[in-house]
Amino acid sequence: MYGHHREPNLPTVESSGKVWHVSARFALIIFFLISCCIPARAGANFDLVSAPGGIILTQVGNNYIASFGTMNALGIGAPAAGVTVIPLSNGSLYLTSYALFVHGGLAAGQTGFVTAYASTNFAHPIALVLQSCPSSSSCNASNQFSNLSTNVGAQTTVIAPPGIVKGATVNAGLAIFVPDNNGGNAFNGTDQAVISFTMINNNTGATIETLTLSLNNPRETLQSAVSLTLASATGGLSIAPSTDYAMNFGNVNGLGFGPGAGLAVSATAGGVIYSTPYLLRPAFSDQSSTTATLKTFVSTNFAHPAVLGLRDAASSTGPFTPIGNSPGGAVVISTTAANRSTLTRFLGLFVSNANGATAFAGSDAATLTFTMTVP
Amino acid sequence: MKKYLMIFALGVMALSTAAFAGTTAVNTNTVSPTLQVSATIQKAVQLTLSTGTAAVTHCTVTATGGTPDYTMNFGTVDALGINAGNCNKFGPANPGVDNAIYWSDYNVTPVFTSHTAISGTTITAQVTTNFGVSNIFIVRDSANSSTVPASAAAFTALATASADTIAGPGVTSGTALTRFIGVAVKPDNGATVGTGAQSATVTFTLTVQ
Repeated sequence: MYGHHREPNLPTVESSGKVWHVSARFALIIFFLISCCIPARAGANFDLVSAPGGIILTQVGNNYIASFGTMNALGIGAPAAGVTVIPLSNGSLYLTSYALFVHGGLAAGQTGFVTAYASTNFAHPIALVLQSCPSSSSCNASNQFSNLSTNVGAQTTVIAPPGIVKGATVNAGLAIFVPDNNGGNAFNGTDQAVISFTMINNNTGATIETLTLSLNNPRETLQSAVSLTLASATGGLSIAPSTDYAMNFGNVNGLGFGPGAGLAVSATAGGVIYSTPYLLRPAFSDQSSTTATLKTFVSTNFAHPAVLGLRDAASSTGPFTPIGNSPGGAVVISTTAANRSTLTRFLGLFVSNANGATAFAGSDAATLTFTMTVP
Repeated sequence: MKKYLMIFALGVMALSTAAFAGTTAVNTNTVSPTLQVSATIQKAVQLTLSTGTAAVTHCTVTATGGTPDYTMNFGTVDALGINAGNCNKFGPANPGVDNAIYWSDYNVTPVFTSHTAISGTTITAQVTTNFGVSNIFIVRDSANSSTVPASAAAFTALATASADTIAGPGVTSGTALTRFIGVAVKPDNGATVGTGAQSATVTFTLTVQ
């Protein structure tokens, strides 16, 4: 059926005396099916196998190659296919699962266990930390992983003794912990590592086979990352997730009567200031500096700027400084904000007590833009 | 050619700064989340009373923090003006015929915000709960001014059925006004008169317009 429409230079397949001319699309489909659906198998006696939901292990000779893709210490963005990211308080853990299948090297009644170590560690081992989870664990939580040994003489247990019998398959976990690193330890770029797996006969103590998994297909990519989040402070107004956040002072008036929950009122020239505490949480990783600068300015002003205004203060008692309406007029909140710190700040809403033609009653809104820059 | 374009596009995507939300970003050193701040401004009015400073002596205006909002006590009074009372007194010109007036100054301070129309703003007063006896009633200064009254003739009975305007139209927000209030003790006798402690309530109303 393909012979009548055969394109030049396409491969042919001979079978039972028939010649099949394979289109490029058909070859791609076959390649995809082979890659996705047939477990990689390389070792003579035991194999590493792609586990459902895990990264793809690609066979190269008797060994394997794979990749965790792109990572960052804050766990921002979607991880690579087959990788799960767990943001932690001091970094992020990118983990995956894989399977080990024993198909030889063990006599009936014998079992084998598996150890592993980083035979070639990352060139930046402070920025990218290989971790392993044994087959005895579910390997879906950070506390189930521990640093992978870099010592051939003291390897990390993957399948604990007495191990498994021939024909058995077990799942284990592999992870890369990306800790927060700023300043001198900061790194962003690509790196690679090689993990050696050794299967040992539990009955004889003999080494059955050693395989390697190279994390280089493609090389792992570590990105710098920044994050600045706002949150409600105890006793303050609620900050609701919006685009990006929203805060509602509710009903206010120029005399400061009846402040809503979470608000304090203080008198000032020309009106009153309703104020609330709120939280700023900067986080950054793999930046050259260990401190960040936080600023804010009014990027969209109130429709009635003579009646309402936004002010900033470091304490509940002020002084409250008017926040400028352009990046150049931004109020500097901090120049020394530390990674993963929490800053309590006070946002003031000035309400004019003026009457007359310029007076206004009704709803109004403004937008503050906060900028964190890690120099 | 199409293949190279795709490779180029993928390369550009990989190298460019990726921002996943306004709060986070990768491959950069800056991020700028936004906070929308909203509020609803309401008109507000306030009317407070305080002890006067214009007359020779002053009956104290005491804020109760409850109901009634304020109290003022003229002390022991009589129709012949024998008792001194707690502050000022005009004895009757013709004892047994004219009333005795016990009186004090006081301050009334209107405050209002976010009103576009204010030129017709007024303050009124009305006896909303009168004395329970017939031989005493509330009086105010007839002039509705800060001028200290010179005699009993400067006082007028404060209305009970409707409100008397004591300031305005056109009062200024935040400016205290001095006014005068008192009790007239009538030289009456008979079944409807009374003695002992008596009280009445005056309601002041600020209307911004």
